[in-house]
Amino acid sequence: MTDAIGARRLNRGITATWWYTVSGVLVFQVMILFIWLSIFAGMRVDPVTLTLIGVGGLIWCAASVPLLLQYRHRDDSAGPVAGWRGILIPLAVAIAFGVLSGLASGLWLVGAIPLIQSLTLLNWPRGVRLRFVIACVVVIAALWFIDLRMTFDDADAEVTSAWFLFGFFAATLPLMTVMSLWWWDVLVTLDRARAAEARLGATQERLRVATDVHDLQGHHLQVIALQLELAERLLSPGGEKQRDPDAALEQLRLARTSVAEARQGTRDLAMRFRGVPLPDEIANAVDLLRAAGTTADATVSADAAQAPSSVLGPVIRETTTNVLRHGGGNRARLSLHRAEGMWQYEIVNDAASANGAAGSGSGLDGIARRVAEAGGEVRVERDRGEFRVIATVPDAAGAVPMQDAAAEPGSER
Amino acid sequence: MIRVLLADDEAMIRSALAALLRLEDDIDVVAECSDGVQAVAMAEKLQPDICLLDLEMPGLDGVEVAERLSRTITARCVVVTRHARPGVLRRALASGVAGFLPKSRGAGEVAEVIRRVAAGARYVDPEVAADALSDERCPLTDRELDVLRAGRRGETTGQIAKKLLLAPGTVRNHVSAILSKLQVTTRQQAVLMAEERGWI
Repeated sequence: MTDAIGARRLNRGITATWWYTVSGVLVFQVMILFIWLSIFAGMRVDPVTLTLIGVGGLIWCAASVPLLLQYRHRDDSAGPVAGWRGILIPLAVAIAFGVLSGLASGLWLVGAIPLIQSLTLLNWPRGVRLRFVIACVVVIAALWFIDLRMTFDDADAEVTSAWFLFGFFAATLPLMTVMSLWWWDVLVTLDRARAAEARLGATQERLRVATDVHDLQGHHLQVIALQLELAERLLSPGGEKQRDPDAALEQLRLARTSVAEARQGTRDLAMRFRGVPLPDEIANAVDLLRAAGTTADATVSADAAQAPSSVLGPVIRETTTNVLRHGGGNRARLSLHRAEGMWQYEIVNDAASANGAAGSGSGLDGIARRVAEAGGEVRVERDRGEFRVIATVPDAAGAVPMQDAAAEPGSER
Repeated sequence: MIRVLLADDEAMIRSALAALLRLEDDIDVVAECSDGVQAVAMAEKLQPDICLLDLEMPGLDGVEVAERLSRTITARCVVVTRHARPGVLRRALASGVAGFLPKSRGAGEVAEVIRRVAAGARYVDPEVAADALSDERCPLTDRELDVLRAGRRGETTGQIAKKLLLAPGTVRNHVSAILSKLQVTTRQQAVLMAEERGWI
């Protein structure tokens, strides 16, 4: 489930990057529009035409958005004019705006730039795009030079220097645009790689589990088949020489043991992928006790998820089972706290029978041994009808589950 | 003599277990049933001491049978299952089931549990309890579970609202909360997921 949340977040991240790319391209377009309006103002174009060109420029910028959207949802294998209906209007807007501002100013470059920029946003195939951009830069440079010779030869120095600045921006516009789109392409490729990796990981895990199950079952089934075959031979009336009912009985007993082992192994395999944080386990325990008619409550410290679950988990399971099994009494209280570098789990119940959370003993003995191996201890206290099991484990045992998790797959093979 | 009713839809397991239990001196299998409805009818007629019920049965499942019987007769019920989905144990304990066993236990152990339950004790198998405790917590609230339960047969939002005495808008809010908590896109998927995990 956490994977799904992560994927969704990443998806949002990729959308944010998309809008970042779009705004980058648009800001560049607006900037170049502003420079060229200031040049027109310097050339004493009348205010009405200036306003008209400003509005037209903004419409041209807006017309880039559908082109960019088309780019986002493009099909890699399709050519630049794949969704030609969608790009027709933006391109028409760019041409109209270019003709308008070109005629108003008499500048070739200004007339050409809108169309060049809009064409840059199309979905060009990989190699073609590079050649296209180089051609664009060459055309822009040539037009800029022609305009410089024809229009700005006798203009004042200030307008001429603005023309130099405009030339620089005009030449870099297709480059910057293509680089933004390229950055977007890289990000999409990375995102696809991540998704593919996640799928691959899941597939490998499935294969690994399938192999483990096959190995485990195959081995045990073969052993069982042999034991049963032997028992059959030992019981068959044909060969008097081999008849031995006692040995046959022994083989049948062994076969049953093999079945139990196979079952336990399969269960261990299935349980390897389960496991919840200790607070959840305690909450589950409280739910079960309540369902069984016991008044149960739990106090768990906020950081209890860090408690060593491989050591304390079995203690919680064993003690809860004991309380459930023996009728539970009326109340049960569970707690998990950290004190002085030790994790302490405690369960108290008021079982009326001889056994409380401690149970009949044998189950708890094994668990006490495991807790002792982790450097902790299990105490059982009885006092005025109250049964109390306290397990303390040093904080450092928190490293144990990590080692367990790392060692387990290796030891299974 | 402990009189036992056995209900399991798998005939081989049922007859083998019945034969093995009959070998015990103090246990008598008085009825073998192949589904839940038959089990309820037979139990009410024969009044056994213990009903050993398979969880997965057509018609009524083991816990539902136990729930019905707890209202009509005094027999104590033991539920047996192959795959103990944890929510089921909670449901079983709440409906007064006295014993819960995985199917993998041998007939000798089953007989032992039958004796203990007949003597008035409750028995929850450690394996089943371990499964139940290491279960993923249900992220849904009781009200949200009610909404899922009311809509599990594909009822419309309006029908759910009427059944739960809620406004349709409230139901829609609950549903959208459920979908975002479970990370699924339709109510149907949410119902399937909740049923799979034994939450409803």
